[in-house]
Amino acid sequence: MSYYDIDAILTDAEKIPCTFQLDIPDLGYLDNTPNQPLKAGTKVSLPLWLAEMLVIANTGGPDNKTFVTFDLPRALGNDVVQALKADPRAVPLRDQSAHFYGLATHMMDLSEEQELGSVLRKTFVTRAAEISLHARKVGGVSAKGKGKEEGSNLGIGGAGEEFLRGLDEWERKLFRKAHDGAKSGKEWMESIKKN
Amino acid sequence: MALPLPLGLTHSEVAFLAEMELVTVVPRQRLESIDLLSGKTPPLRPPHRTDLPLWLALLLKKQRRANIVPPPWMHPASLADIVHRETKVHPQAFSEPMPTASRARQSEPGYAGRIGGSGDNNSGEVILSPPFQSNCTSAAPAGYLPYHWLEVAEALVTHASDDLGGNTSEIRGLLRDLVEVRAAKMRDSAETLGAEGQGGVVSLRGVGAMELAENRGFVLGVVDGVRKIGGAVETARREREEEMDLGGGEGGRGGYGGDGDSDDDMGI
Repeated sequence: MSYYDIDAILTDAEKIPCTFQLDIPDLGYLDNTPNQPLKAGTKVSLPLWLAEMLVIANTGGPDNKTFVTFDLPRALGNDVVQALKADPRAVPLRDQSAHFYGLATHMMDLSEEQELGSVLRKTFVTRAAEISLHARKVGGVSAKGKGKEEGSNLGIGGAGEEFLRGLDEWERKLFRKAHDGAKSGKEWMESIKKN
Repeated sequence: MALPLPLGLTHSEVAFLAEMELVTVVPRQRLESIDLLSGKTPPLRPPHRTDLPLWLALLLKKQRRANIVPPPWMHPASLADIVHRETKVHPQAFSEPMPTASRARQSEPGYAGRIGGSGDNNSGEVILSPPFQSNCTSAAPAGYLPYHWLEVAEALVTHASDDLGGNTSEIRGLLRDLVEVRAAKMRDSAETLGAEGQGGVVSLRGVGAMELAENRGFVLGVVDGVRKIGGAVETARREREEEMDLGGGEGGRGGYGGDGDSDDDMGI
């Protein structure tokens, strides 16, 4: 991941629910109680970059506690995972998080979720096949032309609209790549006839 | 920062390279040999057939100085056979690529040697591999698709349709069918790539240059995504394995050996 990668930066800003394990003075404003210390056991949503540091580091005390413990964010919660298992294509991932896969890979680095990896992999490839289908169909090579879909250049329109709106950033990039390939294929086909 | 140029060759570059393919022409006029950078073209003597690069053949065709003999694999029967093989016989795999040029050995019946190979040293021909092997001349075998099949076929259908024996629309339709069938296989390969136990490998044997150019970005994107997702799992597995090894190694790798092979390939 590049230092300048906007998507990596935005992924780092995703909030994940954390529980503080210590009383921390002067941080009460995080929990809307500005004049008191932050109590141990308070749940606060922290951005991923901060939570990551606090989870990894330990307090150095005798019991080797970490500063915070974290839960999986709602985007990776049980409901979503069960829905993905049932039918990966039916879940609008973007509604969960715009950087769903980036968030998920980060969380898998931090937690010991066995199942999540295989569910995600299956989700990704199943949706990738669907993405490729849509990328090719809209404004693609089909010479027959299907009404309004034919002129569309953005890949939006027709039946796939809802699915395409639910793509997260990784999938959008994938869609763009697949669409660029199909589009330049079509352009080449047309260029043959010109010269 | 990444270069805006896409990986690999673009469509127009592939089409340009495809113009190197030799095709057979029947000249209508005499033309002396032309001394080009890549070598001399053979002199044209009507009505003898000659092999010329596609770009020159198309040029002469447009000037009505030559007729192009379509390669045997472009015959509708051959194309229909390939479509049948792609859809019915092997619905998963791409059809076989063109075999390398071979010739039956006289001394050992039942064996074939490469043309110009050790089998017949006296022939004096040069060993040619696919980009230079003449896969699009009239001597090429039918029933196989060469590497540049789509480019050559499209060029001939568009510019030399009167040489195709009146089957242009049929050929065009069959080519469309082939393109669609193979594109669907390319899409399905994405699912194969991520399937457990497949090792993230998919065979691209027999895929044409233009199809590669079209699907390169997508397939690489899928592989990259699967690699990133698998990477976290893989690191966790390695760590656990190391811990197990340090802790006396009593369990070995039995517990998670099931998906071990596929992950090994992914976690680069």
